Amino acid sequence: MNQVIASGQPGKGLGASRTLAPGLPNGEAAAPGSGAAPARRKRRRNDHSAASIGVALLWLGPVLILIFGVVIYPAIALLIASFGTFSITGLYRGFAGFTNYVNLLASPDLGQVMWNTFVWVAAVVILTNLIALGLAQFLSKEFFGRRFVRWAVIIPWAAALVMTSQLFRLMFDYYHGIINQMLLGLHIISKPVDWLGSSTFIMPTMIAVGIFVTLPFTAYLFVAGLNAIPSDVYEAARIDGASPWQTYRAITLPLLRPAILIAVVLNMIYVFNSFPLIYIMNGSNPGYGNDTMITYMYKVAFQGATHDVGMSAATGIFNVIVILIAVGIYLRFTNWRQGDQS
Amino acid sequence: MKKSLRLGAVLATAAIATMALVSCSSGGSSSSSTSGVKSIKVVIAEYSSATKPFWTAFAAKYKATTGITMNLQIISWTDINQASSTMIQTGNLPDILNENSYASYAADGLLYDSSQVLPAATKADIIPAFVQSGTVNGKFYGMPDLSSARAMFYNKDLFKQAGIAAPPTTWDEFVADAKKVQALGGGNVGYAQPLGPEEAQAEFAIWLFNNGGAFKQGNKWVINSPANVKTLQFMKDLSVKYGVTQNNPGATNRTDGAFALFAQGKAGMVVGFSPLSGTLDKAKTVNYGIAPMPSGDGKAPQTYGVTDYLMSFKKPGNQAAISAFYKLYYSPDQINTWIKAENFLPATTSGLKVFQSDPALASLKVYLDTLPNAHLTPTDDPEWDKVKLTLQQTLGLAVAPNGDPQKYLDNLQAQAVAGK
Repeated sequence: MNQVIASGQPGKGLGASRTLAPGLPNGEAAAPGSGAAPARRKRRRNDHSAASIGVALLWLGPVLILIFGVVIYPAIALLIASFGTFSITGLYRGFAGFTNYVNLLASPDLGQVMWNTFVWVAAVVILTNLIALGLAQFLSKEFFGRRFVRWAVIIPWAAALVMTSQLFRLMFDYYHGIINQMLLGLHIISKPVDWLGSSTFIMPTMIAVGIFVTLPFTAYLFVAGLNAIPSDVYEAARIDGASPWQTYRAITLPLLRPAILIAVVLNMIYVFNSFPLIYIMNGSNPGYGNDTMITYMYKVAFQGATHDVGMSAATGIFNVIVILIAVGIYLRFTNWRQGDQS
Repeated sequence: MKKSLRLGAVLATAAIATMALVSCSSGGSSSSSTSGVKSIKVVIAEYSSATKPFWTAFAAKYKATTGITMNLQIISWTDINQASSTMIQTGNLPDILNENSYASYAADGLLYDSSQVLPAATKADIIPAFVQSGTVNGKFYGMPDLSSARAMFYNKDLFKQAGIAAPPTTWDEFVADAKKVQALGGGNVGYAQPLGPEEAQAEFAIWLFNNGGAFKQGNKWVINSPANVKTLQFMKDLSVKYGVTQNNPGATNRTDGAFALFAQGKAGMVVGFSPLSGTLDKAKTVNYGIAPMPSGDGKAPQTYGVTDYLMSFKKPGNQAAISAFYKLYYSPDQINTWIKAENFLPATTSGLKVFQSDPALASLKVYLDTLPNAHLTPTDDPEWDKVKLTLQQTLGLAVAPNGDPQKYLDNLQAQAVAGK
């Protein structure tokens, strides 16, 4: 294919442009050669790179449209909305200045909601990562039925979150839930537990389900990280007489560091933004006592007495800032550049 | 030079992409601004699986009669408020919207009133109580699509087991009967009380109407009146003091909580409406009866009625199309067919007569006779939309063991009076 350029055949522009990169060394190699041919070739190369802007745009177009449509335009719309006054019907009434932000910060529920968000994100991310470390060790070993176990682990991730949450809501139901019936049958509890309705149990219950749905992604990230560690390092450790625990602490964990960093950052964002799980499992509870920032944002816009799109948009902007700060603090503490290099 | 050219190209692409998106989101169905529209957008709430077949057939009939295409969108009740809010926010108004509140839309000046779109004969046929609840400042904006009324459902088998001869007529009898059912054990509860976010305001409304209470008196909010406080205290006592309800009523929704318990034969009583009869009659698992509400103040039982609305939005050139829509919808073979399919109650006087004379609908008699005198919530006040949302979201907190009914209603009264 490189010959297309080298031999200077006309009329194959499109095919040639695709092979431009591999063709470059050829062109350079030919440059020292004498006469008109190199000059012509050079101009042709310019033609090719000029054409490739148009072609590149053609190829990038859909992606650019997507980025502007799905990321940039909504972000701008959100920012504009956060400075607007809206009627309860959603009708735009004009510029509001910082009123929406002031209302949000003055809201009596904000403190509890932010605390819930912190507990929710911290508990799910930390516990998920700890369990996933163990699970990944298990999944990366050879054993009978490993393929089956790997499938079983990934299914909670593949299922739609709304469906999973609804199923857990049924399982944790006070009267008909299978979990209460099982525990009663085994005589572990003497009367049903109000998993979803009591303020003591709702958050731990949601966290347990949160871990369940976050685990597959994290565990597989760690499996990939473990597979990337070269086996000769372990061999050297074995020859040096390191105990399994020493090997794990001195070799596996440090070499897994990049994977852990990525897992924590992605999970922080993912768990923070988790909407369906909390919205559905907390669906029959009154008030905002068990909401996180994300479900609070939704209720401010569409369900609470505020019914205020502007204040909800301000909450959205506030959320982005909060999660950026949280991720920033984490990266700072873990010295991510060092992790990047290893 | 080349670099700036490239940048320019990227920016141009971006601008085109953005503009294409903007025009997508705000374009919608506002087709022609001249004499008459070619199509209208009709957004309907999904009551049951019978909703879609009816409206699809209706759209075909509408097209055949008027030549105008009806773009139908059916949205579940849980999502319709969010959907309509988004439509209005993006300037993508529907022509007809089916919702359970209309006054805020009217207050924003978005709606046609009846004099602009509703034939006079049709208006005259709508049950006067519903015309009144659809009227703000003398203008009729909220056209009722159907209605429902609540009544006390009781489980005949559980009543028999507990030795109760007849359904209770006073609150004292109610508590006594509920205690007897609760004492049967085996997971049975006396009264299934749904005060979670789904419909807490409805449960509160029917009990307070039967204790001489109201949300508004004339033009004044009376949310924290003594009768209302006493009612909410009684509702709290049912679980906290008497222990005759299911676990945690404040965190129990109606459909998947209270109705589910009653449908399983585990609840002695529940406040229900005709669609619940429809479900129970189909499942045939519970031997149930329907009785008027027990009274808290010794007066005759009161009925709590509910209507939903078909409101129409002001858009250039759609007036005639909307008028034709209402004319067709309120014709007896359309509206009555649908209401029967949904197990609801009529919204028109002519419909009421049809339902009353139909022997197949004899079970609805308990509602039909009281419908014209039913109490309605003050849906004609835009402020009610916010009071309702507060009740839905937080009433459950007031009936929790640490809840304070007096303080809760005082706060709500202050909120309604301040108008925020």
